[in-house]
Amino acid sequence: MNESLQNLNGAVQLVLPEAVLLATVCVIFFAAPFLVSERGEAPAGLRHRWGWLSLLSLLAAGWIGWSAAEVPHSTGPFVVDGLTLFIRSLTLVSGAVLVLLHWNQADDSRSGESHACLLAILAGVNLVAAANDLVGLFVALELISIPTYLFLLLPRRDAPAQEATLKYFLLSIFSSAIVLFGMSYLYGATGTTNLYAIHQAFADHHMPHNALVAVATVMLIAGLGFRLTAVPFHFYAPDVFQGAQPSAAAMLSFVPKVAGFVALLRLIVPTSGGDAAMQSWMMTPSANNLLWWLAVITMFTGNLMALMQHDVRRLLAFSSVSHAGYMMVGLVVGLHSSQQINGIGALLFYLVIYGVMTLGAFAVLIAAARSNRRIETLDDLAGLSRTKPALALVLSVFLFSLTGLPPTAGFLGKFNLFFAAWSQGSESNRLLACLLGVNAALGAWYYLKLIGVMYLRDPVDRSEDSRPLETPVLVAVAVCLVGTIGLFFVPSPLWTHIQSVVR
Amino acid sequence: MPSLLVILIVLPAAAAAMLLLLDAKAPPVRARWAALLATLATFLVSLGVASQFLSINRSGIEGTSPVHAQMEQKYTWMTIVPETADVPPITLQFHLGLDGISLAMVLLTTLLTISAVLVSWTAISERSAEFYASLLILETGLIGVFCAFDLLLFYVFFEFTLIPLFFMVGIWGGPLRRYAAGKFFIYTLAGSVITLLGLIWLVVETYHIGIATHTPLATPFSIPAITELLAVHALPMETQVFLFLMIAAGFMVKVPLFPFHTWLPLAHVEAPTAGSVLLAGVLLKLGAYGFLRLCLPTVPGACLSVGMPLIGTLSVIGIVYGSFCALAQNDIKKLVAYSSVAHLGFCMLGLFALNTEGISGGVLQMVNHGLSTGALFCIVGMFYERYHTRQLSELGGLANRMPLLAVAMVFTSFASIGLPGLNGFVGEVLSLMGMFKRDPILAMIGATGVVLGAWYLLGVLQKAFFGPLQEPHHDSHDEPVADLNAREVMALLPLLTMCLWLGLFPQGLLDLIRPDVESIAKLYGDVHATKGTGAKNYSLKRPSDADESADAALPENVERKAPQANPNPNPNLLNPAAPEAPKSEVRP
Repeated sequence: MNESLQNLNGAVQLVLPEAVLLATVCVIFFAAPFLVSERGEAPAGLRHRWGWLSLLSLLAAGWIGWSAAEVPHSTGPFVVDGLTLFIRSLTLVSGAVLVLLHWNQADDSRSGESHACLLAILAGVNLVAAANDLVGLFVALELISIPTYLFLLLPRRDAPAQEATLKYFLLSIFSSAIVLFGMSYLYGATGTTNLYAIHQAFADHHMPHNALVAVATVMLIAGLGFRLTAVPFHFYAPDVFQGAQPSAAAMLSFVPKVAGFVALLRLIVPTSGGDAAMQSWMMTPSANNLLWWLAVITMFTGNLMALMQHDVRRLLAFSSVSHAGYMMVGLVVGLHSSQQINGIGALLFYLVIYGVMTLGAFAVLIAAARSNRRIETLDDLAGLSRTKPALALVLSVFLFSLTGLPPTAGFLGKFNLFFAAWSQGSESNRLLACLLGVNAALGAWYYLKLIGVMYLRDPVDRSEDSRPLETPVLVAVAVCLVGTIGLFFVPSPLWTHIQSVVR
Repeated sequence: MPSLLVILIVLPAAAAAMLLLLDAKAPPVRARWAALLATLATFLVSLGVASQFLSINRSGIEGTSPVHAQMEQKYTWMTIVPETADVPPITLQFHLGLDGISLAMVLLTTLLTISAVLVSWTAISERSAEFYASLLILETGLIGVFCAFDLLLFYVFFEFTLIPLFFMVGIWGGPLRRYAAGKFFIYTLAGSVITLLGLIWLVVETYHIGIATHTPLATPFSIPAITELLAVHALPMETQVFLFLMIAAGFMVKVPLFPFHTWLPLAHVEAPTAGSVLLAGVLLKLGAYGFLRLCLPTVPGACLSVGMPLIGTLSVIGIVYGSFCALAQNDIKKLVAYSSVAHLGFCMLGLFALNTEGISGGVLQMVNHGLSTGALFCIVGMFYERYHTRQLSELGGLANRMPLLAVAMVFTSFASIGLPGLNGFVGEVLSLMGMFKRDPILAMIGATGVVLGAWYLLGVLQKAFFGPLQEPHHDSHDEPVADLNAREVMALLPLLTMCLWLGLFPQGLLDLIRPDVESIAKLYGDVHATKGTGAKNYSLKRPSDADESADAALPENVERKAPQANPNPNPNLLNPAAPEAPKSEVRP
């Protein structure tokens, strides 16, 4: 009894930052109802206080996590290795940006709960990164899913938001069930839920690659593909992005992808790092092909569908699908080889850059909204360079970065993926690099369309708009802009850090 | 104190940033003057860089590597693969430098940008601060391409130039501007993505060769390092061919060579005058420069066995086809655009002659075409500002109305045709001479382009400037259209002076580029010696040391001919075959 308590205590020590976030969530959920009257009215400006509290909590989590030591090769429920710390800092920083984006998106009475949901989601991502157990992994994934339903619905309760939430909810529980199904087969094959033990079991070649493992592989990739918005599990993305509040769409475009990729890495790659990736239990030739085709189809579908969109939010949804495909290229390549430039390193690098640029794009859309109308269709963006020249310029920077043009970080991200895929040397991966190139050119077309609309067309609505720009969103825009430009000129610190993580 | 080279690159961009910070409601005149000052300052800095460069003793550098930069500046950018015990690192650098060829192109860029600002003076009245900012950012990108000696940095600047030009065409262009800007952007981007893959492959192969031969490269992206290694240990032929085709993809679109040229007339016609000037004057050269910098020194075997026949044929088709297209045009701007396709054909023909004359001619042709076509586009723009039409059928006898403009047009046309004594002649003759040694048939077909060029440009002169006066409807009904004003003269004068100067004294420029050209051409001398089997059909027709003697003899040939700066008042008397005459004289 005493020993298990000690174990538990030790485990909690490993996830203290997440504990801080979840404690804040509890505080907010407990306190928020008392500050809102029975008629649903809250004192004006309450949302600012929740926003500050969220930021404070993220800061505290970061401060506690700063000095965390690595505890790899653990047999306990949690593991803290380079990847965990890397993902933790990524979620905390992107979480701060998301809090800023969400600042004025929910009205005072619902702001508290929606901020708490956001914090819970972020904690969930961190726990996925720290999970060392199939059960822990699943619970952490659910800790992301369930608050997401609320987060989608709370700021807006009109019909489109309800439809979006319902779609997300149904597909999400479906995917959770598939993941659970795959995990059960994996447990059946190995007899343990501990990830370290699972990897050990396969590494020592005790385990034959039987049908159980094959089913587990397919199911896990399919279930997690939902979070990556990999085709064919992407169908919810455009509808949900369109129906949800822009800050929620921004969150959905980035955070679930982080969770999905980290979960895949945790499942596939032994904790010892990239060197052993090739010996991963999942890497039967057929699983390799599956991921390869998934990456190709995801890239092409995302880009081709995005070409046809007239709604900015749907366009960005398909763009996020295609970027998931790009990152899967990194995954496929990384699982093939451990030498030279590492595909997983390129994937993590791209993940950071993708977060910076896509959150930035959404931030500009939020900041550029007019008092009576949000940015929804291409017409709403028309002539933005006349009405709000600075925002138009910044949005073009983000869009050029998404295209992969210098001097933005998106270029280096794509370059690293290209370089990883090409230097790996096998024919299939070189083909993958070529297809990535085709898609980069395809993608340029619709990002350019957005830029063209802003710069080459006249505004549709010429009436003066006196809506003041919101400081929190502008701060978020500035952070993303600095990241997008800065990571192009000074990529070394981030890249070196990622190298140390994957090696 | 950063070096002058860094200042040269950063200065226009900094000026552009300042322009963007200007109050949007400030009068456009402020933006104009700021832009003019910035371009003048950049030009002065480039002169300073040139004088620094010329003071360097470059004798004896030929032996080291096919590409060698002077005044190098290196800053570590990113270490892709960290150094370990058994693996050398892969490092990207901000590696800037200059050689003779790039210095010539940098000077061309800074000079043309001044003219581009001057011709936009009154033509651009809307959002002028943004316009000049784009122009200056474009200048930064262009200078950067020529100064980059790291593969990836080269590519970065190469791609970056798309962005400002997209805005310039798209916002300030003609009626079809949105379509033109989009097509130009996507077309060139698609090509250059393939180039990027090719470059990555090249680096990967070179890196492995370095490891295999125990001469690992610390910076496998550095162009001098790669070319030096590949000059000793050539890649297998099959790889070279694939590499050549992939790297060439983006450059073939940019040049543009024959089947990939369709974006060019559209972009030229729709672009504002300044955009056309820089597009024709410098941007098209990026393609040719890319070939020269990245293809010729790295994959010599493929350049000889595949590149020469392929690019040679496409260039010849481009020369003939572009000329005929130009003949058929009624819109002067479109005519000049198609003439660019033809002239760039000469340039590529020279480069892919792969000998000293040919490459020198190609580089010279790059500079010449920049000057003369830049000036032509300036003149067409001035025309358009006065009459708001460019249709040949509506114009006639304008030499009476605007004698100065007519003089400038005639002069520039002659330079563009390649009249002896003007710059076009030297470049074309050298290119054709080089190609003649390599493949006489291609050279002979290409030479017909000289006649065709005379035909369509003299046709324009005859129709628009001489003969009975026919003026289109214009704004100022009562008073006649004014001739060139001082600003327009200032825009044209430097370009025309350079045309004449390079026509009379090309030796200075030839001397400047000679060491770099020779060290590349030497590579092909070696290729003949060692790889006779791979290039049987195109083996050298004469020993390479004869190249020097031909080169030395050339200036006399050129100077013998009297300059014909005075335009002939009656172009009908000009025999269209006259420009062809040099051909017989050059080969005694």
